Amino acid sequence: MMHLRVDRATPVLVQGITGRAGRQHSRLMRQYGTRIVAGVSPITEMRDVDGVPVFAACGDAVAATGATASVLFVGAMQLLAAIREAVEAGIKLIITPTEGMPVHDALSALRLTRAAGVTWVGASTPGMAVPGAAKLGFLPDSALMPGPVGIASKSGTLSYEAGYRLAQQGIGQSVWVGVGGDPVKGTRFADLVSFYAADAPTRSVLIIGEIGGSEEEEFAQALIALRFPKPVFALIAGRSSPEGVTMGHAGALVHGRHGSYDAKKEALEAAGAKVFGTLDEMVAGIRAWHARLQGVTISKPAWAADTADDPPT
Amino acid sequence: MYLLEHDAKELLAARDIPLPAGMLAAADTPLPALPPGPWVVKAQVTAGGRGKAGGIRKAATIEAVRAAISDIARLHIRGRPVHECRIEQQITGAHEAYLGLMLDPAAAGVRVLLAPRGGMEIEAMAAEPGLLHTAVCDPDQSVLAASAVELARDLAPPLRGALTAAGSALAAAFFAYECSLLEINPLFVMRDGSWLAGDAKMITDDNALPRQQAVANLLERRARAYPEAHLKLHYGCDYVVVDPEGEIGLLTTGAGLSMMLIDELRGAGLRPYNFLDVRTGGLRGDPARLIHVLNWIAQGPRVKVILVNVFAGITDLGEFSRLLLAAFQAVPQLRVPVVARLIGNAIEVARTVLGDAGIDVVTELGAAVTRVRSHLAAKSGA
Repeated sequence: MMHLRVDRATPVLVQGITGRAGRQHSRLMRQYGTRIVAGVSPITEMRDVDGVPVFAACGDAVAATGATASVLFVGAMQLLAAIREAVEAGIKLIITPTEGMPVHDALSALRLTRAAGVTWVGASTPGMAVPGAAKLGFLPDSALMPGPVGIASKSGTLSYEAGYRLAQQGIGQSVWVGVGGDPVKGTRFADLVSFYAADAPTRSVLIIGEIGGSEEEEFAQALIALRFPKPVFALIAGRSSPEGVTMGHAGALVHGRHGSYDAKKEALEAAGAKVFGTLDEMVAGIRAWHARLQGVTISKPAWAADTADDPPT
Repeated sequence: MYLLEHDAKELLAARDIPLPAGMLAAADTPLPALPPGPWVVKAQVTAGGRGKAGGIRKAATIEAVRAAISDIARLHIRGRPVHECRIEQQITGAHEAYLGLMLDPAAAGVRVLLAPRGGMEIEAMAAEPGLLHTAVCDPDQSVLAASAVELARDLAPPLRGALTAAGSALAAAFFAYECSLLEINPLFVMRDGSWLAGDAKMITDDNALPRQQAVANLLERRARAYPEAHLKLHYGCDYVVVDPEGEIGLLTTGAGLSMMLIDELRGAGLRPYNFLDVRTGGLRGDPARLIHVLNWIAQGPRVKVILVNVFAGITDLGEFSRLLLAAFQAVPQLRVPVVARLIGNAIEVARTVLGDAGIDVVTELGAAVTRVRSHLAAKSGA
């Protein structure tokens, strides 16, 4: 089972809290409402960071505070060891924003979190959020809004853009999971299918994929296997990317037909998902669905009412 | 990093993987001393389908080798120009088999693929019932080697022995170099049961470079062949020229959003020059990275406008704007209009700072693209 339904009461640990990123994001997460109960730093003399107690080891922090989730601001080459420490301390949800985790380390981390029944989101993720309750990571507040759409995304920035535009239309999110752009990762799109199926506040799912790997195809197969009962929308970046070049994300590499846009689009459509070609189409399509959900019909297409902040000259 | 065949083979040779003798040659440099012929001249591009595209030619004489290099150097294979060829001793009388090792992220293991016949594309092999033998293993060298033994068990003796030996040697290389893929296709099997890696497709992990000295050295030595990986290592950002004739220089952050922006611009009939994930979060108050990027974009002969797109969760846009202006001042040869689409903290400061410098700031991407379009129209009208 996925331990993703965090709320205001979920006690959260921050590993690497005394570093620049750990400190900054702990403050921002707390501002959002996340209950951060402790930090971990094996190398500091600091007793607390902005009033949050700091422990030398995960085990001590968990024993003292009962933390069940942890956000790791730890260097890429130390990440595997830090994940292992969190698992051994009994943490059930691990979020790792760190970019640059070696892929063979990620494979080891995946095997040990799976064996322990721990939900790992990352690496290379902006994190996750249950909007209105808690965010673990640094999804931007301007895009977060409670609502009916479950968002899962490989890309941080593209999901910010999508979430922000939907929020502008009054359409919010149920559980937003940045699965990250690495090829080997803790939580894949397909892992989320049964979670979203069972999660009552989630009324539809938007996945934001990109070229490379086969996650979108696996996700499509999982939808079919589970007879997924809710509408699924998809946006896939990179259809015009050159073959053989890694496009920013380590996982975004097309070789041959493997990982190509066409293969992903076909698989998703065969599973009944609606694949949008542009952000505007995505907003219009989800807006139309949302209007039906609310029992309202709209007379003109959403894109015609779209707001540019200044008119074309 | 998807390695060129020649470079993959150098790494494999260092681990005593048997290979046909070969060397690298470019069209504009003198031919190196070659092993005895006849030869095969092979285009070095990181794309499949080289044979079909005319990128692999046999040559019996030195003159034929020269002619093949000069022909192949003019090719674009799947959109990629060919800069170099590997000239390799032709292997005759060998049987062609297949062996591949790849990470299987969904299964949390490593997949071993083995086939008694090779030389065709993997998709075609997968479509042929019973040809491809495959298993998913725990990520461990000895488990992979044992799996190759098991998968080859029912093959005829020379093949069985060769693929078993190859499985063991390649499993060791796979973990030593932290590959996500290592594929030998064709794998030449000789009558005496010995084997040679005919081709090599190898994808290594850029994230592991800090502890992969041999791969890191290769990247330094062969920086020109891997501009993207080299840039990332040295400048901390991802930059790819996607259209050398492109008209729109992109100064963008976030890989997914940058890719999508390129898709949408192209879909609208516009021509972006480059992909960029500049990582605004990593600038740390220094314009150096932005200056590098603008210098690269300035090399685009047809770039007529710059589109800045930053959706910042945490970046201070006021600070970013000041860095951006400092960077533009440091690259005076780039004299084109700039459209900035910014969302995030301190947007009002950014509006003032950039507005004073005559740079449009908008908050909606659609409006930004409209501005870009009108700048392009004004230029082509002038």
